[in-house]
Amino acid sequence: MILKLVRRNIAATKGRLLLMLLSIVLGVSFVSGSFLLADSLRSIFSQITETAFAGVDAQVRGVEDELATSFEPLRFPDDVVDQVASLPEIELAEPSLTAVFQVFTVAEDGSNNRPQGPPVFAGSWAGESEVSAFNLREGTAPQGAEVAIDSTQAETHELAVGDQIRVSGPGLEDFLPVTVSGIVTFGETEALGGAYFNLFELETMQQLMGAEGLIDGILLNGDDALSNAQLLAAVEAAIGDHPDLEVVSGTTLADEQSGDFNEIIDILGYVLLGFALVVLFVSIFIIYNTFAILISQRIRQFGLLRSIGMTGSQLSRIVLIEALIIGVIASILGLVGGIGISWLLKQLFAAGGGEFPDGPLIFKPRTILIVFGLGIGVTVGSALLPAFASQRIPALAALRDGAAARQSSRSRRILIGGLVTAAGAALLLLGLFGSVDTTPRLASLGFGAILLFIGVAALSVLFASAVTRAIGRPIEAVTGLTGRLGRDNASRNPQRTAATATALMIGLALITGVLVLTESLRSSFDKILDEAVAADLFVYDDNQQFPFASTALDRLGALPEIADVAGVSDLRVEIDGGVESASGFDVVTENRVLDPKLTEGTYAAGSDGVLVFRDTAEERGLTLGDQVTVRFEDDFTGEFSIVGIFDDNALFGTDWIFDRAFTAQRQNQDAVLFAGATIADGIDIAQGQAAAETAVASFPQLAIENNAEFKETQEGQINSILYLVFGLLALCIIVAFIGIVNTMALSILERTREIGLLRAVGTSRRQLRSMVRWEAMIVGVFGALLGVVLGLVIGIAAVTAIPDSFISEVSIPWVWAIIFMIIGGLLGMLAAFFPANRAANMNVLDAISAT
Amino acid sequence: MMTEATQVGGAVIAAARTVTKIYGSGETEVRALNGLNADFRRGQFTAVMGPSGSGKSTLMHVMAGLDRATSGEVIIGETLLSTLNEKQLTLLRRDRIGFVFQAYNLVPTLSAEENMVLPLQLAGRKRDQAWFDQVVGAVGLGDRLTHRPNELSGGQQQRVAVARALVGQPDIIFADEPTGNLDSRTGHEILDFLQTAVRQLDQTIVMVTHDPISASYTDRAIFLTDGEITSEMGSPNADEIYNHMRSLGA
Repeated sequence: MILKLVRRNIAATKGRLLLMLLSIVLGVSFVSGSFLLADSLRSIFSQITETAFAGVDAQVRGVEDELATSFEPLRFPDDVVDQVASLPEIELAEPSLTAVFQVFTVAEDGSNNRPQGPPVFAGSWAGESEVSAFNLREGTAPQGAEVAIDSTQAETHELAVGDQIRVSGPGLEDFLPVTVSGIVTFGETEALGGAYFNLFELETMQQLMGAEGLIDGILLNGDDALSNAQLLAAVEAAIGDHPDLEVVSGTTLADEQSGDFNEIIDILGYVLLGFALVVLFVSIFIIYNTFAILISQRIRQFGLLRSIGMTGSQLSRIVLIEALIIGVIASILGLVGGIGISWLLKQLFAAGGGEFPDGPLIFKPRTILIVFGLGIGVTVGSALLPAFASQRIPALAALRDGAAARQSSRSRRILIGGLVTAAGAALLLLGLFGSVDTTPRLASLGFGAILLFIGVAALSVLFASAVTRAIGRPIEAVTGLTGRLGRDNASRNPQRTAATATALMIGLALITGVLVLTESLRSSFDKILDEAVAADLFVYDDNQQFPFASTALDRLGALPEIADVAGVSDLRVEIDGGVESASGFDVVTENRVLDPKLTEGTYAAGSDGVLVFRDTAEERGLTLGDQVTVRFEDDFTGEFSIVGIFDDNALFGTDWIFDRAFTAQRQNQDAVLFAGATIADGIDIAQGQAAAETAVASFPQLAIENNAEFKETQEGQINSILYLVFGLLALCIIVAFIGIVNTMALSILERTREIGLLRAVGTSRRQLRSMVRWEAMIVGVFGALLGVVLGLVIGIAAVTAIPDSFISEVSIPWVWAIIFMIIGGLLGMLAAFFPANRAANMNVLDAISAT
Repeated sequence: MMTEATQVGGAVIAAARTVTKIYGSGETEVRALNGLNADFRRGQFTAVMGPSGSGKSTLMHVMAGLDRATSGEVIIGETLLSTLNEKQLTLLRRDRIGFVFQAYNLVPTLSAEENMVLPLQLAGRKRDQAWFDQVVGAVGLGDRLTHRPNELSGGQQQRVAVARALVGQPDIIFADEPTGNLDSRTGHEILDFLQTAVRQLDQTIVMVTHDPISASYTDRAIFLTDGEITSEMGSPNADEIYNHMRSLGA
């Protein structure tokens, strides 16, 4: 019986459920889409790596050091190849040398060919063989002054076999002219996430890298009659006199490779899932509102059912079963919608230059379970409160107009809302300031934010009427009666107004919070530039901030136009037994280029001194002259005395500074992350910049920027993060928009009689429309106001919690805050478009006689 | 004027004992029922009459367990309603009381037949098919059972509501202005039918009305003024009631 009632109720109100369904489906689709995409990519990449390493039985390579910062594997002399190749167990031993973001093909104008984001690999390639990961699509394997490139790069830059081009390399004085000998694919794959590959004969590659006689791996194919273990044992014995070398099986190699891919895919999946969950969270308020409104519309029916003997729990069961059915429908649609979302995301990545290979969609049972769990859980969960409230509908509601379920009392709301808000704030603070691990920290932040949003939503009911009345005051003053009616309507059901506004609040709070972060990041950065940097020029890889060979700095330093060059390299060292991040810095330039603000001591670190950040020195009780034991990547260990104490750790982002002249010898590869340069007296900046650009022209990945350009690039990067977040959170705003449309449409249906009356006594359609629009606008501004205030609070708390070495300034985006309020109002007005028309077009007589 | 009530009907099936109902408090206090006593007997058709604000609707709500008395006791059969909690009160309504309201009697999404058996199904009771057929025959809706309320005329809707009240064979049926929304001819059909239900099906009906002609269909009319029963009339006819009401100043 109850089921029949539920079915009929849904059938009778399906138009009213549609928008709510849409909001759930959007969230659920995004959830299922992120799982589908991640699972598909995982399966594609594991297949790719399996194929690519299918013929590799083993590889000899350097042992990875815990202190390695180097982006490239350890290099070793190529005579090891002979030691291994001569083994009877080995049929093929192919030496290799690889590089990331160091070797580029160069366009006509001297700029590097590179995609936005994905990596550019270079390596030695001896042509197709059992151990080769690459297949020739056309042409031949590279020999001498030849390069083979991947098909993505060939298509993007219109390169073909036989083309004469140039390549760059850190080992070259100038570009190397080469001929494109062939186009390759990685395994059978055309597009590997947009990455580029430049392949050369080993000798050419060594020349490009300035690594004559060095390799970083040997790919092995053994006698098929032997087991893998036997093969590994034989190789291990052969390289026994090289303790820094190891041999691993081809399967391990493939697993590691797909593990690397999986890490990236996991991050992608989690980010997408995170946003999907935010969208779902927003839709909770819309579902809640829809059910609450539908129940109040059916209050007489529910009263009738109560009076003829339906119990309160039977009544709430009706509501919950309705929610269950809607949840099931939404989950099914969401699962299907996920296919569309994952396709859309792939297209978006492709448009952004990160094309993924095609592969089948993977529907894991886990995905289906989660999608149904979330879809049903969110819908039924959101309907719980309205369902319980429906229990309190009195039987007399059948007889009286305007009878309503008892509302929970004000003091109870203050108590519960206050407790939830406080719990949320406490969890947020714990997450921000507490000294806990990353996972509980993130969980604490997430739950804290959720509780805070719910708590504020509950509390906002208390002041919704007062605030909406205040927002409506100027509107009423300007527009008179229609504004007055809109204002009254916006404030007359605070619960409904609060829930509608909350949906908008969440998206805007997150956006505002992120804005506070990025604005603070920007002003912290500006502060560093203004206070700690005397450099006229900045030298770095402006695309990926990838390290580059320090030979570039030598060339700059040799220029008469340049006074000082100060490079900064990235180190990992073991200090008194603990692994720390540290910087190598050209201390001879002291504070003339980059100023870490020395407070005591000198810059003269040399080969046995170190500078330490003030706070770290205090924590460890270190003063000038104290000794610390330091171990470097090459296992060099020594006693280092504190020669200086500095005040600004934001400039380099680490607490320890060594002399780069010394640390360059300690690293596997001598590379620099970033450098500043000052221009000699009497030379103007443009002239110096031009000279510098010419000097490092063969490093096409490097940007030489003056102060203004540098600022612009950095802001551009902050902005691109911001836009990405905006784009993803825009979905929240869309769902909130649907929520406003939904509430307005349902409220107008509910007020049919009242609207009929207004029309009957002479309200024009136009007046009615503007009345509805003003109401929606007020609700929109209210939501935006809540969101902006909450976002500012969260953002400021986050900025305060982030270490000063990253963000030192708090900056509040006032302009944006005002823009968001305007956007909130406009969204409200836009959302009211259809509901307002509907109200205006009601037949007066029908409306009046409606029950 | 106070005429002796004709002793139609059997044992007392529902009773009010010094029932008081107060709405609001302080300055806004309204005493809707003021120490009222009343008996309703099995097989009796009673009209509750009185001017607006006399408390007749409140009496019905309190008697039917839709609302609680402020003090005093309402008894249905052997049950004291004040001893029941909300849930028990609901079950009492479901199993032992029938309702016919002035309007909005039916669940719009259910057919006529589904509406009629709704209380039975809520209770998980089996329908007594013979009784159901008898009721359906009596209300004359045999060919309308599958229609939705909006496909029925106002009179038909009220007949379905009466049938719903009857199908559960309750101890007593309360009807609140059941003909208030109907034209007089359709109204008389409903009243005829209510009368038939009492006379031939041995049902007990208490009807709140302000219309003397409606009240003339009953066995007994009681008159309320300011929350008290001020007079009572057996086998009333319309003229007598009309005159009496005028004397009450209604």
